[in-house]
Amino acid sequence: MSEANNPANDIGKQYYATQLGIYDEMYATENKALPYWERFMAALETMGSEQLEIRRREAQRLLRENGVTYNVYGDSQKLTRPWRLDPVPLLISSEEWAIIEAGLKQRAELLNLILKDVYGKQHLLKKGLLPGELIYGHDGFLHPCVGAEQNLQRQLIIYSANLARGPNGRMWVLDDRTQAPSGSGYALENRTVMTRVLSDIFRETQVHRLSGFFKALRKGLADIAPHNKEDPRIVVLTPGPLNETYFEHAYLASYLGYTLVQGGDLTVRDSRVWLKSLGGLQAVDVILRRVDDTFCDPLELRSSSRLGITGLLEAVRRGNVAIANPLGSSILENPGLLAFLPRLSQHFLGQDLKLSSVATWWCGQKRERNFVLQNIENLVIKPINRGQDNHALFGGLLSSKEKDHLRSQILAKPHLFIGQEQVSFSTLPAFIDHHIEPRNAVLRNFVVASDNDYVVMPGGLTRVARQKDNFIVSNQAGGISKDTWVLASEPEKPVSLWTKLTQNQRVEAIIEPLTSRAADHLFWTGRHIERIDASAQLMRAVILKLRETLEFKDPVDNECLTILLRTLTQVTGTYPGFVNGNPQLLKLPEPELLSLAKDNRRSGSLSVNIQAFVHSAFSIRDFWSHDTWRSVDNIQRRWQQRVINYDCSIDQLQSSLDELITYIVAFTGFTSESMTREAAWLMLDSGRRLERALTLIALLRSTLALRLDDALQSQVLEAVLISTDSLTIYQRRYRSYIQLPMVLELLVLDESHPRSLAYHLRQLSSHIGALPKPNGKSQLSPEECLIIKAYTDVRLINVLELTQASDNAGIYGGLETVLSTTTDLLWQLADVVTKTYFSHSQTSQLMMTKTSGDEP
Amino acid sequence: MKYRVTHTTVYNYSQSVDLCQNEARLQPRDFWRQQCESSHFEIYPMPCDFRERIDYFGNHVAYFAIQQAHTQLVVTAISDVTIFPEQHIFELFNQLSWEQARSLLQESPMPAQSQNQGQSQSQSQSQSQNLDTLDARQYLIDSPMVTTTYDLGCYAQPSFQPNRPLVEVVRDLMQRIHHDFTYDPTFTTIATPLSDVLSHRRGVCQDFAHLAIACLRAYGIAARYVSGYVETRPVSGKPRIVGADASHAWFSVYVPGIGWLDFDPTNNTVPLDQHITLAWGRDYADVTPLKGIAFGGGQHTLSVSVDVLRLE
Repeated sequence: MSEANNPANDIGKQYYATQLGIYDEMYATENKALPYWERFMAALETMGSEQLEIRRREAQRLLRENGVTYNVYGDSQKLTRPWRLDPVPLLISSEEWAIIEAGLKQRAELLNLILKDVYGKQHLLKKGLLPGELIYGHDGFLHPCVGAEQNLQRQLIIYSANLARGPNGRMWVLDDRTQAPSGSGYALENRTVMTRVLSDIFRETQVHRLSGFFKALRKGLADIAPHNKEDPRIVVLTPGPLNETYFEHAYLASYLGYTLVQGGDLTVRDSRVWLKSLGGLQAVDVILRRVDDTFCDPLELRSSSRLGITGLLEAVRRGNVAIANPLGSSILENPGLLAFLPRLSQHFLGQDLKLSSVATWWCGQKRERNFVLQNIENLVIKPINRGQDNHALFGGLLSSKEKDHLRSQILAKPHLFIGQEQVSFSTLPAFIDHHIEPRNAVLRNFVVASDNDYVVMPGGLTRVARQKDNFIVSNQAGGISKDTWVLASEPEKPVSLWTKLTQNQRVEAIIEPLTSRAADHLFWTGRHIERIDASAQLMRAVILKLRETLEFKDPVDNECLTILLRTLTQVTGTYPGFVNGNPQLLKLPEPELLSLAKDNRRSGSLSVNIQAFVHSAFSIRDFWSHDTWRSVDNIQRRWQQRVINYDCSIDQLQSSLDELITYIVAFTGFTSESMTREAAWLMLDSGRRLERALTLIALLRSTLALRLDDALQSQVLEAVLISTDSLTIYQRRYRSYIQLPMVLELLVLDESHPRSLAYHLRQLSSHIGALPKPNGKSQLSPEECLIIKAYTDVRLINVLELTQASDNAGIYGGLETVLSTTTDLLWQLADVVTKTYFSHSQTSQLMMTKTSGDEP
Repeated sequence: MKYRVTHTTVYNYSQSVDLCQNEARLQPRDFWRQQCESSHFEIYPMPCDFRERIDYFGNHVAYFAIQQAHTQLVVTAISDVTIFPEQHIFELFNQLSWEQARSLLQESPMPAQSQNQGQSQSQSQSQSQNLDTLDARQYLIDSPMVTTTYDLGCYAQPSFQPNRPLVEVVRDLMQRIHHDFTYDPTFTTIATPLSDVLSHRRGVCQDFAHLAIACLRAYGIAARYVSGYVETRPVSGKPRIVGADASHAWFSVYVPGIGWLDFDPTNNTVPLDQHITLAWGRDYADVTPLKGIAFGGGQHTLSVSVDVLRLE
């Protein structure tokens, strides 16, 4: 790969054209690349752009398979953008890192002291060090949180800052993140991927590891627990899978070994926070919060919130739970504070700020306001509150009319605005469209309070704009992320996240509590996957029969096809379809078949069921192993590519169905082989068994319960055996005789056959018996009674009796009766399980009256 | 004047409630015009968790949780309160103009601290009055239910004649609201925005108080929301009807140098000895007398009765 005239080798530093007057990370201010960049770029050059592109794609593949890019609704307009990783990292020398690290620690200490004061004695306000409007006018100041501080040396547990380098080579702080800083999980994921795709270069470069930071995070969170300090229960509170950084919530929860919860999974009783699990209430000591603070308690904060826990703030006030970061900490994200930090740093620490903020003028004071109004075209104007309608405006881009409007807005409520200097960030090499090009970059750093100090992650999340000369670097704007390599002066040993035990110590295993919400999603993941499987198998059998009718032109084939098409409508519940719909459909079934496969707006179609499956699985992302998630991704992605987004024929559909069925088995196989047989597994498999039983019964009712003449019946029996993947086993057992009683025996009664009804019911019965029960074990629960009855009824079936033609009706009455009774019992079972175990769905209501007052 | 206030709220649910958490601001606070002699709650079913505290604005708050299944919740607060009216009257003749009041509020009462600069200077001014003014400044800016707008400013404008004493401005504003707006309990809900109240000229005491507060804040005057009760006199010749009263709301204005003065736009009066104050804050959201979150419950019906009994 290293031939001198290889045109692919165009990515060396000599091809890298920086812009004049802009600081570049590689060149600093001199005309010569920094030595560590030189080494790195030489390694890239040896590799060549083609190879680098291969590595980049490999990184994308790994990220996608880990679910980092997952677009859960297959709907590209909304929700998550794919997570993009540029294989060229940001390199930071150890000398420079020391400066950044010290600056971030100082800033974290300072912000912590401000936070403590604002929610404590408020000396800063009383002494006039901070103007009241700056605090009172910010949405992050939560009155009920005053006096509700956690009894801790450091209130600010997690801190994150966005840094960028200005033209003079100094690092500037663009903004501070204290609400629920995101990105540390993405940084870790980027690193994990980079060590795989760029392992050769990574090995040769001495790079600081990230695991020490996460160890500190774990320690820091355990330390703030008000109770059970030795072994606290820590949960990650997420707004749910619709949140843009939900991947990270699930990722951190499983990496750190915490339970991922939503507000509805927690409850406050006796002013303590409890996790609602299948096994009862479990005390929670620490909440790692990824829900914005105003949404966290509908009683005292935003009453319309459905994401919070009623009474949470009272639990904090009583010292029964610790939250990181504490409620109210978003006040520190007020950009107006930037103007006051230098003075506050002197006031609290007696020091100058080691890292300067971007020059900021808060309009709440006259002199600064006048300055902003006069220099509006050179400044960025930002509202202090972030919100839907509150955007930063670049004064230079506004028309004179817009400027006047902005000026009048500022004058009407000046304390709500700041003016900020427009900074030009440094550029750094980025691999864009096979070339190395300079891009503006922003570095996000992470800090955690741990062991009486702030610990800074040696690295971070670097993001670059995709477009050249673009200063808006964000995921929303389609930015690209980079790993950040802080170079070590000597090789570093990897830090293990495991805590060392003293000799002979033994730790009790914790049985992870299963929240009722997770139980619900597991149950439905199981049901959806089997619903997909049943439809896919049946559709495949239908297509097979369709081919035969075209080939042999036998009228019996046609009759059989009609029965199968109607069965497909009945099993998928896509009426009228082939049952009462246009009779032409039966003559020309292809369009309807394709619609049942492709249409992602039609209830009962494969596409909709796949979406529902992925949605359920994604909602409990933290439960799946890496391989299991890869199989989920495959199911959705391949179907999207090969069926939904593609004008596929019936023949191509058949091969996609084959592939789908294989991926389904991969998913069920991975779960069977990797999940412990505890509540989570029981819920998943109960959902699967229940759905299989229901779809099997639906299939049998619309095929085998029909009284048909012998020739047709043989064909139908064969098709049913095919669509239940049982033809081979039947042939082996009963050789060439195909008869209704034997088929029923195999598909209904044979408990050794994993496709039979009795097998599913026996499994279901044993799972339901093993679920945790609130009322003890002495008495059978309603759900146990239902499944035992269904299972026993089926076991007592005599197939010969059921297949006696007792009257002149077109169906086998006895068979139909027993199958429909079983269906009813199973539906009741599903209802009872939902009511008993998925209680998180209980709705709450706000009770509040208007003060209507008196008139004389 | 001495009163006994009995405020009862009853919630009836169509289905059982397993858990409810509540916050009550139903105990009168003490201040120069009023002293609460005693106050207690009677709650059924008995709460498992009950805790009182003082909120950021100095109001009494009780948090309570009911953790057993119930289909009815009864919350009664009984308080004995003494009102001292006489200190109040002469201040209504204060001559400080609204412009002066505004500039006294706008100017930082502390030595001016410019941004991005060094050490704070020593302070020597009268600390307590400064702290009052500092405290008042949080009532100058928008709050959850009161956002000032251009239209609200326009409505207020005729009251703000140049150099008019602030107290006169507020009396005029109160009178105009009383005259221009129709008391109509069917028109508004908790969520009705002020713009609707303004354009339809209808509302209840809560809306009128919010409206007046918005008008004042639009001109840089600090105004806050007061929740409480007013004694209603029986119609002559008829017996007093127990429980016919309701909770009430009005507003208060900060006059630098004097303090806070109350005005009741619903009744076009200056509260003296018939108004009993429960709590104050930036707006209704800060002082909601009783709010709760119930889990389950189906449909609920609510009835409130307030009885203000004059003891002496």
